[in-house]
Amino acid sequence: EDAAEESNVSAELIALRKRLVDEWNAWRTLRMKEVGEERHHKLQGKDDAKEEIEVWVDEVIEQIEEIIIE
Amino acid sequence: MRPILLQGHERSLTQIKFNADGDLLFTCSKDNVINVWFSHNGERLGTYEGNNGTVWTVDVDPLSKFLVSGAADNTLRLWSVSTGKCLYTWEFPTAVKRVAFNDKGTQVVCITEQRMGHQCAIRVFEINAEGDGTKQSKEPLYMFNPIGSKATVCAFTLTPNVVITGHESGKVALFNVKTGEEIDSNERAHSDVVTDLQMSKDWTYCITSSKDKAARIHDTKNLMVIKTFNTETPLNSAALAPNRPFVLLGGGQEAMSVTTTSLRQGKFETRFWHKVFEEEVGRVKGHFGPINTIAVHPAGTSYASGGEDGFVRVHHFDDSYFKAKPYGDLEIIE
Repeated sequence: EDAAEESNVSAELIALRKRLVDEWNAWRTLRMKEVGEERHHKLQGKDDAKEEIEVWVDEVIEQIEEIIIE
Repeated sequence: MRPILLQGHERSLTQIKFNADGDLLFTCSKDNVINVWFSHNGERLGTYEGNNGTVWTVDVDPLSKFLVSGAADNTLRLWSVSTGKCLYTWEFPTAVKRVAFNDKGTQVVCITEQRMGHQCAIRVFEINAEGDGTKQSKEPLYMFNPIGSKATVCAFTLTPNVVITGHESGKVALFNVKTGEEIDSNERAHSDVVTDLQMSKDWTYCITSSKDKAARIHDTKNLMVIKTFNTETPLNSAALAPNRPFVLLGGGQEAMSVTTTSLRQGKFETRFWHKVFEEEVGRVKGHFGPINTIAVHPAGTSYASGGEDGFVRVHHFDDSYFKAKPYGDLEIIE
């Protein structure tokens, strides 16, 4: 049924539908990008906190090494 | 489509909600009871009893730990999803008409009715998930009275402290819950009472339904109307179908006016509309009265409708639904 309808729709209607989908997709892409960026910023913040912990771990290892050398 | 009839409510349904996983369906009704069902087979898992009036509204948190309900006995209740126990009860001067969790399940927004000298109020409560959930703050985190027309539906947005509301006048607005300030509004979003508001999967847009016979998709950031679906019957509910470009609309004439018209004119069907082309693509019959509430499974594999007739119908979509490409091969972003 769908296929039959497909062949009957005019070129004009196909063009209209193409335009509607393009408009919708453009708006969705924009909003999804914005939400993605906001999430990215929040995640970055968490990564920074983790990095600080890693630095602290490094320092401890260095102290142990110095004791061995002595 | 294979419909499952959920029998258990004695009076009309008011709201139904799937949990985040979609395995559970919560239903509330004018019979004062909330039921929970396994969505795949329609088996009843349990009930949440204690309300002394119509339960108007329910929502479940993203972890399926807590359930909140609002009722005509002027209470907002917090329930344990797994045990069915009422963990906390907040009391107000008027009925609670709408509740909704935020995206993280840490806050609840509720609307209380305007009645007998009491204004319509919107309150936000912080949910304390520590311990068994029985230690909640009695006082709301924020409370305000929306100016102008009273609010009928509400939901949190992705912006902290901003809620989107639908009103009796047909207005759709954004409010800052901290200050009570109306950030933005579309006075003419609808021309009659807004009956439902459901968020998209990523919370960047929402769909509203109204007694004005239309449903609309709004951009939650700026309240721009993106799409309009004009039907020929007053609408009680509108839902977005995840992963497919459809919206589901339900309604029908009020029980009172149905008796004066033929059953066919009641039009108690769930209508499927194409989300982008704003064209009707199909209808599903079944209810013997107006459809009050519709919810779609979060994975888009089934949907449920609750009617004025007291029944809940769960429909699992078949292959043809997923394969159908009405109006061609164009790729549509969710």
